[in-house]
Amino acid sequence: MPITINKGILGKEYPPYAVTVERGKIKEFARAIGDLNPFYLDDSVGRASPWGDVIAPPTFAISFRDEVADSSALLRDLGVDISRVLHGEQEFEIFRQLTPGQTYLCRTKVLDVYEKTGRSGPVAFVVRETAVTDRTNEIVATMRHVTVVRL
Amino acid sequence: MKYGTVHFEDVQVGDEIPPLVKGPIQQIQLTRYAGASGDFNPIHQDQEFARAAGMGGVFAHGMLSMGFVAQALTDWAGAGGVHKLGVRFAALVRLKDIVTCKGRVLAKSSKDDVHLVELEVWAENQRGEKVVTGKATLALPAHE
Repeated sequence: MPITINKGILGKEYPPYAVTVERGKIKEFARAIGDLNPFYLDDSVGRASPWGDVIAPPTFAISFRDEVADSSALLRDLGVDISRVLHGEQEFEIFRQLTPGQTYLCRTKVLDVYEKTGRSGPVAFVVRETAVTDRTNEIVATMRHVTVVRL
Repeated sequence: MKYGTVHFEDVQVGDEIPPLVKGPIQQIQLTRYAGASGDFNPIHQDQEFARAAGMGGVFAHGMLSMGFVAQALTDWAGAGGVHKLGVRFAALVRLKDIVTCKGRVLAKSSKDDVHLVELEVWAENQRGEKVVTGKATLALPAHE
């Protein structure tokens, strides 16, 4: 018996949340991937770089979380258990590099919700977009997340 | 040079970037990635949970494989060059899997001193099965 999800979240905009990038989190993230690029890890290389500091790896913004607006909040809204979800697709568009000490604002909205029958049974796709802006409201990055729910 | 910068003029459509081989995937790396990313889904940590969820055991965060693909791009083009990276997680990456990230240049374009290359990117496991497929757009420096 497939489960049902709450499709009423289509169009939902989550409360904006602020994230301040920590130097140590950039390095922890790069090392967890095994990416030892000195532009992420070496402060002196960062200082001499065009950005004046270390920068974050391209996928770092995935670590921007907030309990009322991240994937856990999405699962609560959908009414599904974490054991049913898979990450289907992910996209990053990067307009400026993320650097330590900067505070960014994240705004997430649900762009699409649809169901399909895949090879392993019925699934739902939930498409969210998160816009990351700086203190002057200028866009720094966007993330598009496609979450797959096994129904 | 490991962290080289490739120049726009030196890239041709059809060129492949140097493959990046990652793994074998170990549980400790998934635990580190959970801590670094904040994704503590037990499906990546706990065999019993992952089996009970019908997934046949623990598998890696898709985002870890995407991080590998991003590394293949920045190892080739230099850090800070990725403008866009979009992927589909095509198959699960399991413990002990070896993930090889690859890319091929699809197109080049220049506008207002910004030089972009578009690439097809993918990652495959040790059996040659694609686990990640996608596209990337990178800005490259031009020769003076």
